[in-house]
Amino acid sequence: MKDTRRTRLVLGLLLVVALALITVDYRGGESSPLRGLRGVGATVFGPVERASAAVVRPIGNTFDAFTDAPGERRRADRLERENQRLREQLRASRLDQNRAAQLDRLLGSAGMGGYKIAAAKVISAGQGFEDTVTIDVGSRSGVRPEMTVMSADGLVGRVVRVGPATATVLLATDVTSQVGSRLEDSQEIGIVQGRGRRGLGDGGGTPLRFQLLNATAPMKVGQRLVTLGSQAERPYVPGVPIGVIERIDQPVGDLNRIAYVRPFTKFTSLDVVAVVVAPPKADPRDAVLPPKPKPTPSATPSATPSGKPGDRKPAGDGKPSKKPSTKPSSGD
Amino acid sequence: MLNTPEVSPAGRNVLTAVVIVAALILQVSVANRLPLPGGVTPDLVLLTVVALALVNGSLTGLVAGFCAGLAADIIPPADHTIGRYALVYCLIGHVCGLASDEMDRQSLVPFFAVAAGALVATVLYAATGMLLGDPRASWTIVTRIVPLQVLYDVMASPFVVWAVLRVTRRFERGERPSRDRSVVPAASYRSGVGTRL
Repeated sequence: MKDTRRTRLVLGLLLVVALALITVDYRGGESSPLRGLRGVGATVFGPVERASAAVVRPIGNTFDAFTDAPGERRRADRLERENQRLREQLRASRLDQNRAAQLDRLLGSAGMGGYKIAAAKVISAGQGFEDTVTIDVGSRSGVRPEMTVMSADGLVGRVVRVGPATATVLLATDVTSQVGSRLEDSQEIGIVQGRGRRGLGDGGGTPLRFQLLNATAPMKVGQRLVTLGSQAERPYVPGVPIGVIERIDQPVGDLNRIAYVRPFTKFTSLDVVAVVVAPPKADPRDAVLPPKPKPTPSATPSATPSGKPGDRKPAGDGKPSKKPSTKPSSGD
Repeated sequence: MLNTPEVSPAGRNVLTAVVIVAALILQVSVANRLPLPGGVTPDLVLLTVVALALVNGSLTGLVAGFCAGLAADIIPPADHTIGRYALVYCLIGHVCGLASDEMDRQSLVPFFAVAAGALVATVLYAATGMLLGDPRASWTIVTRIVPLQVLYDVMASPFVVWAVLRVTRRFERGERPSRDRSVVPAASYRSGVGTRL
């Protein structure tokens, strides 16, 4: 370029602007004045993303269509396009079937827990170090920030930002995500943290980390986790399945054990999700968890039935005490 | 917002803006959802900025980089401090624009430029995160992601650079009869393209 002075001037100017943006946004935190820019971004790009998701989804390899040279071979072109369209229709109908099946399961699990949901599709995903997705429901569908997002299998994340027709979801696997959670069939609570599922290493298999609040409480591989539920059910409603403990590490010189959790939700292929717009009236506890893989080891109920701990053969009520159906005592 | 205010014809600015928006949309709705091993995806916006800078020089490169970065900062799923991508892409656009002077002479320059740009941009972006104390950009995560990210960027670069060159070239060819001013730059970089591809 000839005019390097001008170039340098513009460069300096833009760098100063960028640094100023970073500073203002960083210092402002959640209430920074630049969050309005994000709103503008959601308003402008949201509909475009929705449209592009609708167009792009069935094709898969759009590049062929873009670089396809129009011109001399019109007939071949037309035929190819028709062929493509038919193939798209086929693929779209197959996708629709798939989605309908997912939706069925989603409604099933929402019904089990008594959640009121708004179904949504994932239309785009974040890049770099953040683990976020955009879904195609927004404030017009009643979605607000800090709502739980789940899939048919389990917890997905929470809504962090809402545009008119789209919403941004922070996935549970993101490093900044923390979910209060509870071990199944015991009352032990702890925190599930994301550890990022990107890059080399084993983040892909167990992208969540779980730490009990009580360092001495029992915890074993194969136990499953559900959400504990936040105060006033924001951002997390209770009882959403999270995942299975895959392995437990105890760092040297540290009291706290760290459990690595394999989530029920497949974060690499998120498609149909649900935003919980109204929490259940009663905590569903473990009701939403999928049926146990092996039905044996429920023989150690932490709440030993009423009174005598080791006494298995009282004369009168031998039968009822064998089955720990003590709902009130295990309830709280 | 994305219009680059500069001396070259308005048509080219509009084209640049269209290319950037297309790259952004493809990035968030297609590339980021590809189930690639490692979960890392190529950064199409970065590659587009590099390609535009190589074609049009450093001024266009840095303005396009800033605008593309700012858009990438506010496009919906983004959840980092606003201005980080704007800073990084602006610098990368400028540096790759400087390299474009060398491009006509040596045919390997674009590929080196893209690889170096990918490496520098990823590291720089991670560095801004570390400076700001972003927990997502902790050292362990950065060392896990950066090598894979650079690898994917380099692998995707020929396609993106080729697509951007092709789009701009077709536009120039269509424009040539009506505008006299665009003949010279078109001819100059088209010859460069011919030797490279």
